[in-house]
Amino acid sequence: MDVFILLLEGIFVSFQPLNLGLLIFGCLIGLFVGAMPGLGSVNGVAILIPITFIIPPTAAIIFLAAVYYGAMYGGAISSVMLGIPGASTAVATVFDGRPLAVKGEAMTALTAAAVGSFVGGTVSVILFTLFAPPLAEVALRFNAPETFALMVMAFATFVGLGGDDVPKTIFSILIGLALSTIGLDLITGKPRLIFFNIPGFLHGINFLVLAIGIYGIGEMLWTLEETKGKVQMSKLSVNMKEVGRAFGALKKTIMAMNIGSFLGFFVGILPAAGATPASLMSYGITKQLSKNSKEFGSGVPAGVVAPECANNSASTGSMLPMLTLGIPGSPTTAILLGGMILWGLTPGPLLFTQEPEFVWGLIGSLYIANFFTLVLNIALIPAFLMVLRIPFAILAPVIFVLCVTGGYAPTQSLHDVWLMLLFGFAGYILRKLDYPVAPAVLSIVLGPLAEKALRQSLILSDGSMGIFFDMSEKPIAAIIMYIAIVLLIMPAFGPLYRKFFKKAQTT
Amino acid sequence: MSITNKITVKRAEIAVAVILALCSIALMIKSAENRITWNAEENMGAGFLPFYLSLGMFICTVLTIIKFVLKRSPQSKDDSPFIDAEAFKYIAVTIISLVILVLAIGYLGIYFSLIFFLAFYLRYFSSKSVLFISVFSLITPVLTFLFFEWLLKIPLPQGISEPLFYPVYDFMYS
Repeated sequence: MDVFILLLEGIFVSFQPLNLGLLIFGCLIGLFVGAMPGLGSVNGVAILIPITFIIPPTAAIIFLAAVYYGAMYGGAISSVMLGIPGASTAVATVFDGRPLAVKGEAMTALTAAAVGSFVGGTVSVILFTLFAPPLAEVALRFNAPETFALMVMAFATFVGLGGDDVPKTIFSILIGLALSTIGLDLITGKPRLIFFNIPGFLHGINFLVLAIGIYGIGEMLWTLEETKGKVQMSKLSVNMKEVGRAFGALKKTIMAMNIGSFLGFFVGILPAAGATPASLMSYGITKQLSKNSKEFGSGVPAGVVAPECANNSASTGSMLPMLTLGIPGSPTTAILLGGMILWGLTPGPLLFTQEPEFVWGLIGSLYIANFFTLVLNIALIPAFLMVLRIPFAILAPVIFVLCVTGGYAPTQSLHDVWLMLLFGFAGYILRKLDYPVAPAVLSIVLGPLAEKALRQSLILSDGSMGIFFDMSEKPIAAIIMYIAIVLLIMPAFGPLYRKFFKKAQTT
Repeated sequence: MSITNKITVKRAEIAVAVILALCSIALMIKSAENRITWNAEENMGAGFLPFYLSLGMFICTVLTIIKFVLKRSPQSKDDSPFIDAEAFKYIAVTIISLVILVLAIGYLGIYFSLIFFLAFYLRYFSSKSVLFISVFSLITPVLTFLFFEWLLKIPLPQGISEPLFYPVYDFMYS
């Protein structure tokens, strides 16, 4: 009952004029960002964080969550119409969305994607409302050792479940952590890693510099290389008959909706997973369980509904550990978590007691955003198609302008803009060589929190690492640590696992 | 054989791994400027974490090099060009123009630098008319100014062009 009242209060908060205006604006931007090839929720949120400094934290998180949400919907538009995923989260949508468009049934594909996203979003936000308060209550009992163990598990998840090259994944985690140590040491106050005595390093490296570099500059370079500005758009006829036929086709997608919604939510909670693997797994499992599995890939609505349900559900799921444990469930939530620190909040379970308006305002806004995004998505399809016709040679410099100004604004230092460019170029090259970049972003956000928790724990234990493995004193920390160790060594026994993962990806 | 054909994925993989290994060593040396030991009495030295993180990075790059030598990674067997010639043009021009943009921001200020950057970029890569490019290159910095300086009250760098903005500030804050 308490939860219901808090939720109502949260919905009331998101209906306040500023919050509602930003929510609708965020949904629109998210749809646009998701629809543009090369831009996804993570890019949109990274580039837009600097503009949230002048609004209250609740309005800021509602705005950015709406961008995140909208981008999950929008990704399907370019997957269907161009055959290029708007973001990695919409890769699986191409498999059947594009063939449907080629067959002249683009409206069916777009409607299936929008409705699937709505169902996935609704189911996951209900699950979120039910799971978040009890999980936060458990997490309130966490001290420094448990917090550090959780962070180790978040890093280990990337190694165990990321599916990427293990040394490269660990390198990515470590470089993010190393970058987070630049600046003044939090205990001794001594300067660390001040290269060439450049004063700009004394204030450390803001996570936004790395995030905008990798997801703004690096991603644009990647997309410029991939598309070279050439895109081929499918034809689309929008009329009531087409819309009616599209809704009719959804009757056969109930199983895909169920799989996508529930699987997406639980995969989304895992730190390394997020919406991309959720959508791929959901597609694969729906295909395997379907009576018409052979038709998948040739253009069936269930093949669009399953990944779209899952990516929306996973995006909500990834916010659960962010709010309750202070651990991001996806690269986008890693950036949102960094944003909370910039807004002066302490991510984690205390938010539920200290900032209820923030937490429940966000949860309430997810219900509202889900509805608005569905309406805007279907109503504005013609407008998004116009936007997709903008040549990339025009869009790219605009994004570069946003990156340069966004990199400068937080600290007002050109030093950070140079670093952002450096990270962008390096991220582009590393990504081409299959170095995963998301762990680095997660690490630079979690690095200072992990270091603080580690050093506090070691002070408590007089320097003994045993505090993290003592089942009698710190059972929760020990269990989490053992899980982390299992995740870390999993790839060593991994040929079988990797075979399964690759199979799931290719299907 | 063009330069883009010479730089294969295989060569890029090993070159990048070696560069990252050298960077890791440099980080270890830099970390060692602070105390890198840790014991119960003195707790953790300021250089301890960065040193061991860099050591971990170094070990990862060595493993990548070993996988390359044993031909265990997909990149170690890939003789295709790291980037094709057409894409290289896009990437190289973009990177060079971005570097020049940031250099120019420090001297000319952001607004005038953006005008030149946008005009050059659009002229080079798009087939739009001179009129479109001119309008677009002028409007974008104006919108940037209004958004950051007027709405967010965040001053962006103006370099030698700063005096030109004094009348605008007088108007905005009068």
